[in-house]
Amino acid sequence: MKPVNYPQPPRWAERLLEWLAADHLLEEVQGDLQELFEKRLQQHSVRKARLFYVLDLLRLIHPRLWRKKTSAYPPLNPIDMLQHYLLLSYRNFTRFKSSFFINLIGLSTGLACTLLIYLWVRDELLMDTFYEKDEQLYQVLENRESAEGLVTFWTTSGPTATSLTEDMPEVQYAATLLGGRDRYVEATFSVGEKNIKAKGGYASKDYFRVFSHQFLSGNASTVLADKNAIVLSETLAKNLFGTTENVVGKSVEVDHDKVFQVSGVYKDAPTHSSQQLDFILSFEKFVEENDWAYAWGNTAPFTYLLLKPGTDIGAFNRKIAGYVKTKTEGQITHRTMFLKRFSENYLYGKYENGVLVGGRIEYVKLFSIIALFILVIACINFMNLSTAKASRRLKEVGVRKTIGANRLSLVYQYMGESLLMAFLAMLASLSIVMLFLPTFNKITGKELSLSLDPTLITSVLILTVFTGVVAGSYPALYLSGFHPIAMLKGKLPTSMGELWIRKGLVVFQFSLSIILIVAVLVVYKQIEFVQNQHLGYEKENLIYINKEGKLYDKSTQETFIEEVKKLPGIVNASSMGHSLTGHNGGTYGIRWDGKDPNDKTEFESVSVNYGTIETMGVDIQEGRSFSREYGADSAKIIFNEAAIKFMNMKDPIGKVINLYGNDMQIIGVAKDFHFESLHEKVKPLFFRLAPRNTRFIIARASAGKEKEAIEGLQKLYATYNPGFTFEYKFLDQNFQALYEAEQRVASLSKYFAGLAILISCLGLFGLTAFTAERRRKEIGIRKVLGSSQWNIIYLLSREFTKMVLVSILIALPLSYLLLTYWLDNFAFKIDLKAWYFITAGVAALLITWLTVGTQAINAARINPIHTLRSE
Amino acid sequence: MKGTQLGEFEEIVLLTIAALYDDAYSVAVLEEIGRRMERPMSIGAIHRTMQRLEEKGLVKSRFGEATTERGGRRKRLFTVTPAGERSLFEARTLRNDLWAAIPKGAFNTSFS
Repeated sequence: MKPVNYPQPPRWAERLLEWLAADHLLEEVQGDLQELFEKRLQQHSVRKARLFYVLDLLRLIHPRLWRKKTSAYPPLNPIDMLQHYLLLSYRNFTRFKSSFFINLIGLSTGLACTLLIYLWVRDELLMDTFYEKDEQLYQVLENRESAEGLVTFWTTSGPTATSLTEDMPEVQYAATLLGGRDRYVEATFSVGEKNIKAKGGYASKDYFRVFSHQFLSGNASTVLADKNAIVLSETLAKNLFGTTENVVGKSVEVDHDKVFQVSGVYKDAPTHSSQQLDFILSFEKFVEENDWAYAWGNTAPFTYLLLKPGTDIGAFNRKIAGYVKTKTEGQITHRTMFLKRFSENYLYGKYENGVLVGGRIEYVKLFSIIALFILVIACINFMNLSTAKASRRLKEVGVRKTIGANRLSLVYQYMGESLLMAFLAMLASLSIVMLFLPTFNKITGKELSLSLDPTLITSVLILTVFTGVVAGSYPALYLSGFHPIAMLKGKLPTSMGELWIRKGLVVFQFSLSIILIVAVLVVYKQIEFVQNQHLGYEKENLIYINKEGKLYDKSTQETFIEEVKKLPGIVNASSMGHSLTGHNGGTYGIRWDGKDPNDKTEFESVSVNYGTIETMGVDIQEGRSFSREYGADSAKIIFNEAAIKFMNMKDPIGKVINLYGNDMQIIGVAKDFHFESLHEKVKPLFFRLAPRNTRFIIARASAGKEKEAIEGLQKLYATYNPGFTFEYKFLDQNFQALYEAEQRVASLSKYFAGLAILISCLGLFGLTAFTAERRRKEIGIRKVLGSSQWNIIYLLSREFTKMVLVSILIALPLSYLLLTYWLDNFAFKIDLKAWYFITAGVAALLITWLTVGTQAINAARINPIHTLRSE
Repeated sequence: MKGTQLGEFEEIVLLTIAALYDDAYSVAVLEEIGRRMERPMSIGAIHRTMQRLEEKGLVKSRFGEATTERGGRRKRLFTVTPAGERSLFEARTLRNDLWAAIPKGAFNTSFS
């Protein structure tokens, strides 16, 4: 034993050495330095000996000091080992074909699902963000007070753009656009003999300074300077002239009426643009002929601003809040302007009482979550199945370890196998995506493509590696850690925690699947309900034709309608000024006895012709409809029930109200009908006889003779409006478009529910296999002792049935809450019936039994000799 | 291959290991060379050379018994392998040949 105060080398140097030296060198080096130190102590002072110790240590520093020991065996050839792993993976895949395919199907469908949703979400997020000055691009919105609270409108008054540019130094450029979004202007364009119908709008001169479009010819900043100019999209220019070259300066006739000169051609907007305009005409020119469009009292066009960089939006919004009031010298007080980033409008477009409450972003979020869930479920399955497989490979791992495989090489092997699997699944999923992309595009109404851009490739790679590593981590890290003896004996330690996690995952998967089943059922029922809902008019077989060309002439219109009525297959015809699929235009310029002077509630205004109400099939509750029999009806008005109720009027027939300063007599009350989507309650509305103001010719075809009716209409139309293309729409088509979002969600959720169930079942299948594998001996002994096959099946299914019952208990209340929330979106909705939930629960149970049952039967039928003969 | 060529210092270390025979470990080799060459030398240089020799297969090593010296740590004892012997002989033959090739009278001074 050393005396306590025996001099020692510096402690820190010893520590440093311990930290630096490779394990196999440490003892020797430490000993050497210690020996030298001890020897020096006899000749020198302690201080000096310590100094020499440090110097020796410093001169030891060299890569050789910490380099790891080279193995006693020749190094493994990485290529040989890779070949070996690949061969082993291949053998494993072929040996356990069923679990290989289950794994592949589960993982690849999960990945494909995630990929599709990723493509969709990315497209949604990219919407409208491609403009050069996206960050400075804003749209002017208005909150308007009404009896129902604040209502947010996208429309503004015509002078907004010019006034804001003059008054607000923050505004760099401003543009007005009439058309775009859901209210494109349609017109017929003619060059020579060619007539083409296109959608576009009227825009003020700075439009292309605000929205950066690439110009093939013409100068963006001056194309709209001339009032007689027309700017064409590449497609329209090609369609009209066959080329985009030397088009500038050429004439185009619009609606066979006015002639415009082409001033520029711009590249078509990308698909992820909400503004798909084929042509732009001068808004200034439009105003010359329609002065209503340039008055503070009217709202119709959209206003867009390009703000100077660094503008504080909050401050700017406060500045313009009372702008309409200031501009109208206190006349209009109920409109508050505010700005919204243009590119955000698409995803965040839903306002309630003037407050942003979401919009499409909700669907984006919903599907992102679904994608994540599906991916997680698929990964969990992969892990569960790997665990099940692992028990078969215990011996393999044991033998490998005994022969000398170290843990790292086992980790490589299993990770490699799992990564290989993930890459195979990714390849499979890519083909699935390519196969289903057209269908997916149809459902989502998009033009997505699997283009090989760097972000996509990186995301796909990251996703694959992530999945592979997560899925492979269990067998790679867990199995490789066991003691070989335990493994060769076949004893796999299981912890309660592990069991609980696995059960929890199954419950989680099934809860999700059940929620999806219920959701699909309810969404379907609701959509069916909406579409079969009686709207208060007959929506079937109602043909719509946009009025254009000569039909604007009143007498031509009337003779045309008369001719249409005579056509075979046509029951009735008329014209009207409302599309019946949403808010078209309203007014608060209506007065009656007892009206609150501050009330600015708008009544929907519908211009009709004689016979319109009859053609539509709207019932008249009281009084009469417009009719030629009673002479001039132009000073008469018909309200709907909601309007009468709103005005709190008793015995309305014969009473006189004031509209736009003219007295009008009420001659009838129409039954409420839905002129907006069923998300909305029926609002006050009036019919006014104004055949000149009607925008559509409507005709009702008799059921089953629609084709004949259309053919007749087309011929007749050609004689009346030569040079215009005949275009028609059935109202129920437009009506369906109102519920497009819901329908898309419905059909998407149907597929995703199916997938979630499929993947969950695969997981269950894997787990049953795992349990059956684990309990082989137990089952064997039970059978030897006289257990019947049914007992065994019961034994194996009991556990899973319990888990699924738990998921049902969790999922049903959750789905009830979720769906109640969703149904609150609709003013008219179905009741949540108990059988939706019961169906979902029973379906989940049946699916479970089916999946577990097949496995259980297999396990129960094995001859006990096979399971018991070896130990 | 680099393994066949002996550096000067490697040759000296290898010879010292051979000379020390049963007690050739790093500190002993350091002291022996230090005594003979009268040149300051670090334990690090000896270590690295001996590692290199072992990698070339010219020496092999084993751990000795633990003693109370060195804080109870074992010594790593080195012995020259047949390959080591052969390369020593080769080096020596080369030198002898070269000595023999020097004509008489080429050197003016005599050291011995």
